[in-house]
Amino acid sequence: MKFGLFYELSVPRPWTRESERTVYDNALEQVKLADELGFDQVWAVEHHFLEEYSHCPAPELFLTACAMVTKKIRVGFGIVVCVPEFNHPIKIAERTAVLDILSGGRVEVGTGRSATWTELAGFNASPDITKKSWDEFVRCLPRMWTSDKFEFEGEFWSMPRRTILPKVYQRPHPPMWVAVTSPGTELDAADRGLGSLGLTFGQFAEQEKRIAEYRRRIQLCEPVGEFVNDQVSTVNFLYCHEDDAVGLKTGRQMANHFNYLAAQLMSVRETYPSKSYPSLGLLPQLRRQATGPESSEQAGEGLCLGGPERITRALKRWEACGVDRVNFLINTAETIPQADVLASLRLFGKEVMPALNGSKS
Amino acid sequence: MPIFGELELGTIAGELPQMRHLDTEAWELPKAEILQLACEIADGSRVLLPRALHPAIPEYVTFVVTRYPESPVGPFDLAQVRLMARAGVHPRGYVLSAVASTATAAAELRERWGFPATPGEITVRRYHDRVAASVRRDGAMILEMALIDPEIVSGSDLQYIHGVTLARVDGATQLIQVDAHYTLHKAARGRAHVSRFEAEAWHAAPIKLSMPISASTSTSDTDLPRIRFVMDPEIPVVRGTRKVR
Repeated sequence: MKFGLFYELSVPRPWTRESERTVYDNALEQVKLADELGFDQVWAVEHHFLEEYSHCPAPELFLTACAMVTKKIRVGFGIVVCVPEFNHPIKIAERTAVLDILSGGRVEVGTGRSATWTELAGFNASPDITKKSWDEFVRCLPRMWTSDKFEFEGEFWSMPRRTILPKVYQRPHPPMWVAVTSPGTELDAADRGLGSLGLTFGQFAEQEKRIAEYRRRIQLCEPVGEFVNDQVSTVNFLYCHEDDAVGLKTGRQMANHFNYLAAQLMSVRETYPSKSYPSLGLLPQLRRQATGPESSEQAGEGLCLGGPERITRALKRWEACGVDRVNFLINTAETIPQADVLASLRLFGKEVMPALNGSKS
Repeated sequence: MPIFGELELGTIAGELPQMRHLDTEAWELPKAEILQLACEIADGSRVLLPRALHPAIPEYVTFVVTRYPESPVGPFDLAQVRLMARAGVHPRGYVLSAVASTATAAAELRERWGFPATPGEITVRRYHDRVAASVRRDGAMILEMALIDPEIVSGSDLQYIHGVTLARVDGATQLIQVDAHYTLHKAARGRAHVSRFEAEAWHAAPIKLSMPISASTSTSDTDLPRIRFVMDPEIPVVRGTRKVR
């Protein structure tokens, strides 16, 4: 099992000139330590307009900084929003290649389509067509990275024959992933030979079922890239403390704060009826997890909060469910002081990683 | 922490509905026809929102016109303007003002669920390319809106958000959660178009409509339920919510 960090880069109010800089500086320090401890990857999302929840509209810039202060940790560019109003596909291909060169071939690419009205309407993008545009983008990107010359005539974008430069450093190209929040999206990933980058905190039984179906479907895939990425990644909270009770209490405060901020945002489904967003998705699910029947002690099922033994048990369960990678949210809106976040990472590296197939080996 | 509403309760104290009690019995409301439009609004609405609630990001309102063919007080129509918000982590529609098509319905809605309802005239008309609604009060047109180009969707594509009213009850000013149930039989969506919105007439003077979001219409079996939760309007709901039953 491999471990990573996952950044939304949330910034609490009141916003001062220094508050955003502090969040970015703290994150860079955390990534540097994670690299030293043997974490395998760091992901940064692309979000826009999501007050407090995520001040991370340019993840490739943050990840470039990460790459410059680290040696081994891979940099996960994503979720890149594959909607033309947000990002032109040529620019995605180019920025990915530059990041791959600067990082020495450490890029992974996560693709998605946004789930909030807040963002989609902000770019004047129609929620009805995001799935189709995402599909077009993910089929083009590998060809843009690997073809000497590329031309395309599509429904959402077109270009005449050109040489897209530079080329990615990795050969044939970086691993590609799909952000999975709504049930069923993991099958879209499987059908295209793409990794499942889970972004929900679902319970073991549900995740196990979805992973099994993903594994079955990807055997039959028509890969959009030069190779099949059949890995399953999931996201989790992490706060590790010698005192299990302290770890649980502090970690839950962080998790609750994250859910609270997420719940303030406006999911597409809240107000725009569309077949393109048929399920509740991440935000309502977080609301349910924060306040529904699952919010009792059982809500902790699978969350990596508490002492090293509890966290090790949870991760072994995830491993048994078929998860290959776990990416951790290690703070939200600076709820936990930076020194404690770093201590949590160190303890995790010392006590938990050796107990699993951590990437340190 | 997200920003909160900034309503000064004193500014509307004299206008608040007076409820009889919190032991309101439910009304079954079959075959209701619901027309709902959502519109983003310019900043400035926070002064209308109780301090217990967070404004939505982005801020927006919904216009809900419902035709109830059957109810314990006979057929009536109800138009509401709701400022959309969050009660903690839950989406809620804070009812700024309402118009009911009969005086009896308006009085009952005020006294049972705290709707800030007054009598007026409501029309709903269905055409091949639109569903239009208008609201008049005291002879003046205060709302004209339409769903344009209806397109059939699944009922499961629609989401109705629970309402919250502000009223006097048991000697205190309280937020009342009105969490209706819906069984949808038919649903359609379309573009939202508001041709007239007299904000002052809806106690919503600072609100300026900006971008239309969506419009939907449905036929639903619904209700006005027993009251389950009330909230202190002055403190965050995570601390100020009281379960009634």
